[in-house]
Amino acid sequence: MSTPVEQMVQSLARRKATVELARPGDAGRAAAVWMADQGIVRAVLADDPVVDAIRLESALRAAGIDVLRWPVAMGRREVLGLEGPEDVCGVTVPTLAVAERGTLVLEASVGHGRGLDVTNRHHVSLLMADRVVETLGEALARTFADGRPVPSAVSLVSGPSRSSDIEKISTLGAHGALTEHVVIITP
Amino acid sequence: MSTRRRRRNPGVAYSDVTGTLRERTVDALRDPTLADNLRTAGDSWGAGREVMKRDFGFDEMRDRARDIRRSNIRNMPALLAELQSNVRASGGVVVRAADADEACRYITDLARARGARVVAKSKSMATEEIKLNEAMEHAGLEVVETDLGEWIIQLANEHPSHIIAPAVHLNRDQVAALFREEAGTDDVPTDREGLVAHARVRLREKFAQAEIGISGVNLGVASTGTVCIVENEGNARLVTSQPRIHVAVMGMERVVADWDEAAHILQVLPMAAISQDAANYVSLITGPRREGETDGPEEFHLVIIDGGRGALRGSEFEEVLSCIRCGACLYSCPMWQNVGGQAYGSPYSGPIGAIITPLLEGPSSPGSRDLPFMSTLCGACGDACPVGIPLPDLLVRARARSSSPAKRKAGLAFRVWSLLWRRGVTYRLTMIGWRLALRIRGRGGWVHRLPGPGSGWTKVRDMPSKWPPRR
Repeated sequence: MSTPVEQMVQSLARRKATVELARPGDAGRAAAVWMADQGIVRAVLADDPVVDAIRLESALRAAGIDVLRWPVAMGRREVLGLEGPEDVCGVTVPTLAVAERGTLVLEASVGHGRGLDVTNRHHVSLLMADRVVETLGEALARTFADGRPVPSAVSLVSGPSRSSDIEKISTLGAHGALTEHVVIITP
Repeated sequence: MSTRRRRRNPGVAYSDVTGTLRERTVDALRDPTLADNLRTAGDSWGAGREVMKRDFGFDEMRDRARDIRRSNIRNMPALLAELQSNVRASGGVVVRAADADEACRYITDLARARGARVVAKSKSMATEEIKLNEAMEHAGLEVVETDLGEWIIQLANEHPSHIIAPAVHLNRDQVAALFREEAGTDDVPTDREGLVAHARVRLREKFAQAEIGISGVNLGVASTGTVCIVENEGNARLVTSQPRIHVAVMGMERVVADWDEAAHILQVLPMAAISQDAANYVSLITGPRREGETDGPEEFHLVIIDGGRGALRGSEFEEVLSCIRCGACLYSCPMWQNVGGQAYGSPYSGPIGAIITPLLEGPSSPGSRDLPFMSTLCGACGDACPVGIPLPDLLVRARARSSSPAKRKAGLAFRVWSLLWRRGVTYRLTMIGWRLALRIRGRGGWVHRLPGPGSGWTKVRDMPSKWPPRR
């Protein structure tokens, strides 16, 4: 039997996402290296303790990438990439992930904009290994558990944006992110 | 001035289709490009379904999906009341619309009250059913479909040919031609990747302008007042996060009790629809943005449409309300595979469309009363359905209920036949007459052409002139 994290890695590959495992001390640098390789010039980060724990901001600055924190003061055209730099990356922190399906569970909150993973050309997600559960049923039961406040928006994201509307052949890069890179942070 | 309210188009079927169902079917069959495009789609769906069965236990999941949906429909009034009160508790507005007119009027009035001019839409069959685009355009709004397939269809000024793959009847060259026309330049790529990238940029301009985003609803979860929107492209994410107002339009039957049920249906849906074990994006939306959040709509409106659905509860057609609009029965249907969805003249095509269109419109509506006959009753749709709707049985019942001239003609023929063959004397007389006729027309043991109803047989094959053979 494979562990949930191993299964998550396989499922993400099936979803056409890229994935790497890193310890907390290396995860920030690993994410920054990946972004620099993609030619990313700006990163918009969720305001989340995980981002600080892996010291992502300093790693990105060292790689010469412009860093913004959510909430950002940008007009809608800039948020959508119609103004400003093209190669922008949204950085999200899932509350949970579904190993069986390769799905990230992203909750909207004051520090975590609901468009972070979808408005930008690239998407990097920082996933804590202990947040990976096996099934979607388990993830949704926890997200919407009695007594827990219901988030205004939850996004289940399973791989980069694609469309099969032309000739029923899956083509990447529809309205959402063209790439999805998941850094799984192992203890 | 007349006090009677003028209805734009009370039906579900499109009012602008031309010709009879038979004429549209024949035209579709004569279109070689269409046949190729549909075959590509049907083959790809069939191969995907096999993978779902083999690797993901799809067959086992269907039983539970059927039970969940049956129970949802049984408890629909209570579940809808719960959904409604939870959406309101989270700051959303809920509107129950009895028919298309009420739903459209609410949305156009809202747009007028908020001074909106541009509306971005993500895919929704319910809005297609109530002809919302027509109503909004009539109210002077610019409406942009942002699902790639729907945008293509909007540019082509056509109607969708499949519930989830609306432009599946067009190929990439046809799409490129439409994009060139829309952009007013020949500088448009012709490869698939390029076309998708082109649409991304063009539609982002619309997302930047839209004051209202309109989405459909795949499921409404009663226990928390959450709507689920399933998609692959990300346009529904933009529709529900960028404009200031989000209006979600939902058929009243799309309600489930809780997250345990929702989790199951949310997995069965992409498996049945696109042969994937997960859709790329699922948005679970509970009311508008909260205090302190800086993106997401400030207003959330949920429009729940009856449109004839409520009356189906407790009827012999109740099971059609279980439908999750995956489109699997369309791909599986030999009829749809050959003529595509547009020949049906309704937003809902294929086996499910042939049943629900006349149910929602009434049995004598000229636009849809012939639809239940668009089937060979081969049973493939029943096998394909992920929620176990007995589609072939319902097609037969829908035929019994239909009052089309074609059916009356067929009924008369069968009555005459039954009258003749019920007695030995008249039976033998018809057989003698038949044998004689074949002998007279036969040349060298074969009849090459039969008149009247027999002409269909001899069009593609000969008839032996000594038939039936004597024992």
